[in-house]
Amino acid sequence: MRLYYVIRSVGAIAVCIGLTMLLPLAFSVYYDDGSTQPLVQSMLIVLGIGLPVLLFTRRFDQPYMNHRNAMTIVTIGWIAATLIGALPFFLAGTFGTFTDCVFESISGFSTTGSSVLTDIECVPKGILMWRSLTHWLGGMGIIVLSLAILPFLGLGGMQLYRAEAPGPTPDKLTPRIRDTASALWIIYLVFTLVMIILLMFGGMDLFDSICHTFGTLATGGFSTKNLSIAYYNSAYIDAVITIFMLLAGINFSLHYQLLFGKIKPVFSDPELRFFLLVVAFLILVTAFVLYQTTYPGLSQSFRYAAFQVSSIITTTGYVTADFEIWPFLSQSILLFCMFLGASAGSTGGGMKCMRIMLLLKHIYLELFRIIHPRAVTQLKFGKRLVTEDIIRGVWGFFIMYIGLFLLSSFVLTALGIDLVTSFSAVAACIGNVGPGLGSVGPTNNYAHLPVVAKWMLSICMLLGRLEIYTVIILFVPEFWRK
Amino acid sequence: MKIIIIGAGEVGFHTAQRLTTENKEVVVIDKQPEALKRFVELLDVQTFCGSGSSPRILEEAGIAGADMLLAVTDSDETNLVACMFTESISVGVRKLARIRDEDYFHFKPELAPTMLKIETIINPENELTKTVLNSLAVPGAEHINDFADGNIKLIGVRIEKESPVIGVRLHELRKKFGSLRFIIAAIFRNDRLTIPFGNDTINAGDLVYFVCETTQLKKVLKIFGSRTAPVHNILIVGCGNIGMKIAQEIEKQSYHLRIIEANRERCRFLAEKLNSAIVLHGDGTDKTLLEEENIRDIDMVISLTGNEEVNFLTSLLVKNMGAKRTMTRINKFAYMPIISDIGLGNIISPRLSAINSIIQHVRRGKILSSVSLKGEEAEVLEAVALETSGIVGTPLKNLNFPTGAIILAVAHGKTSIIPDGDTVIEPNDRVVILSTRKNIPRVERELMVKLEYF
Repeated sequence: MRLYYVIRSVGAIAVCIGLTMLLPLAFSVYYDDGSTQPLVQSMLIVLGIGLPVLLFTRRFDQPYMNHRNAMTIVTIGWIAATLIGALPFFLAGTFGTFTDCVFESISGFSTTGSSVLTDIECVPKGILMWRSLTHWLGGMGIIVLSLAILPFLGLGGMQLYRAEAPGPTPDKLTPRIRDTASALWIIYLVFTLVMIILLMFGGMDLFDSICHTFGTLATGGFSTKNLSIAYYNSAYIDAVITIFMLLAGINFSLHYQLLFGKIKPVFSDPELRFFLLVVAFLILVTAFVLYQTTYPGLSQSFRYAAFQVSSIITTTGYVTADFEIWPFLSQSILLFCMFLGASAGSTGGGMKCMRIMLLLKHIYLELFRIIHPRAVTQLKFGKRLVTEDIIRGVWGFFIMYIGLFLLSSFVLTALGIDLVTSFSAVAACIGNVGPGLGSVGPTNNYAHLPVVAKWMLSICMLLGRLEIYTVIILFVPEFWRK
Repeated sequence: MKIIIIGAGEVGFHTAQRLTTENKEVVVIDKQPEALKRFVELLDVQTFCGSGSSPRILEEAGIAGADMLLAVTDSDETNLVACMFTESISVGVRKLARIRDEDYFHFKPELAPTMLKIETIINPENELTKTVLNSLAVPGAEHINDFADGNIKLIGVRIEKESPVIGVRLHELRKKFGSLRFIIAAIFRNDRLTIPFGNDTINAGDLVYFVCETTQLKKVLKIFGSRTAPVHNILIVGCGNIGMKIAQEIEKQSYHLRIIEANRERCRFLAEKLNSAIVLHGDGTDKTLLEEENIRDIDMVISLTGNEEVNFLTSLLVKNMGAKRTMTRINKFAYMPIISDIGLGNIISPRLSAINSIIQHVRRGKILSSVSLKGEEAEVLEAVALETSGIVGTPLKNLNFPTGAIILAVAHGKTSIIPDGDTVIEPNDRVVILSTRKNIPRVERELMVKLEYF
């Protein structure tokens, strides 16, 4: 293990994140909301540690990186990011306890959006902006950001990129990893600017539209209002956010291809078709059920159903309607969405459509082989051949995901939390969704949970964002054997 | 600069590795997904799985926006077809093809400028033959390279125990042989390459790289105590295509050549094709055969069989039996670090030769050629100094050149100079620069940025 190189890379990531604190700082100075001092302090602490680390480890650049180093750097980098994210909350006294600060920070970076804030609107704007910014950074990925900015990470970049990027087979869009990272961030940035402008047309002020844009494109879910998006009660805003949530839930390499005018391969992408089909189907079913039971108007049912299904399946977690009062079928559809999640290579969480499709195809092939024992079969995804080791990886992921879900649910129920709350809270945290059902439902938050439960859920969020393997591998003894 | 490499073999890998460290955009195409795996894991390149000769794959890999195509698969036909489609899809992409078959190579004029517009054709066997003949001409050297049209030579010699320069400080050396101009560029000691200063000394066992004018080479070699006894008797063990080509070249000069080949049919063929060489049927590791042929009097044994382990053992055996020098052909790059450990000096590798000439041709602009020194820690570049460059017009001692980089030689028109502190580089001179790999970007900045942008 190249310890110094790990330290150097984590230092670099810390500096990158530290510099982004300038944005909330600008808002806090403008609004003069009293959060300037904690933000400046946090920034000085982060840069004060990060810059010397970068300077003193200059000679430890190494020409290549192995899997172990990459996974260590990514995991430790994310833990460092979480602690950095918690600093402004801690120094500003936003929360009573350190646990809450860490929970809110990891919930931000992992783009979960589960909050422990009871009254959001009385928190200083600078802190709220920082809260939303953690979403935005974590959405596209802090490693991808560092790759785009720091040239020295480029040599082992693909390993780092793979350890962070969601999905079973991350695409490299350009020959150099640095260009891929830059391209992804540029697309992300363009979406961000467009959405901010569209939201401002809907009557939001600059501050709120930036925060909600960050929350939407990262598929995060932190709002600046206690009522979330329901506060605005505007069909226009609902529509804009719905569309951008879905865009953020699509593989960004498809956006990249679209940018270069390759329309046909994008729309023949099997995962995109599957994703859109599932979304459309679930929206229609939910709208129909809601029209029959809860809401009087068809358009109203459709609007709430479309927003809520998109919000949960892309793992964003914004709410416009209290789905606690919806019929059970609609609730179980939402729970299903939490597990399914968005596309591979998007900013969303969950298991990812691609994995589920691969598993279904593999199961079908197994059945097919029983019928035709001598048949030679190959698993294909679109036109690409899927190799045995990818399938093995996907099955492993699936089993670990379910295993983590069960284990964490046991822990929560052991703490005396009811079954619906426990199951949905864990599903919402591993899937990086946000609101669950029961006492962590859309109108409630996670503040009332016991400390142990909060730590357990924090771990779930981190594992969910880094897709389990990257983190859990550090706990395998073989990993550390020389 | 975007470069597409077809063929993910050893040549493709090492070419890609050197190009990516120079921050070029590299795309690799190969049929074998297994071969590409190593690229994805170790290098910052993009890979495409498919046949490099397929126009669809070439288009997918972005041939339209590429600057250069390196077709370096083992198959000549694939390489040629790839160049053909590249020419039709995207005119103006510079093309380099690795061609091994003699028959194709003979039609170089047809292939290169007219039919397919291939800029460079690399024949690894030809490159290797050149290397071997060079080494035969300077038998004491482990490493030989020509610069400035052959007027300046870069030589690497191993310092023997009885050498007169052992323990002498470098600045004393310069005083002692004032009239002979040469520069010690680098010393390779205990697997580490260092750029020496005036106070450093030379030890036994060092590999010393120096630069001098070709005309003075013999005298300079004598200073280092290198045994310059010319080569007369040569033995080639294992005579396939490469061996045959080398044998034919050797026959043209006044060497006495023997060949040991294990295959009787091949022996007959060789005996028919070659004129003065003695073709022996037998095993290169057969002690009695070697004794019979007076192995003690052989000046150079070249082991060229297709099996590198056999080559190693043959070289060790003949050295043990009294042969003066050996040259060993190896293919596996993994063996390179242990070569000097087991006491074998000169190695030859068609792949290494191919990689070196490919890299040379990739470099665009003012860099004319480049050579990697042992261990790949340093490189020697030959570049043209343009009028606007920072190195022109100032005496060298006043130049702000990065440490870890030295100007070794300057070629001015047809004369070449080994410079000292007072030398002034004039516009359009060709300069030979040694730089450690870490400093190459800085050297390039020193030379290139000013050249390219102002």
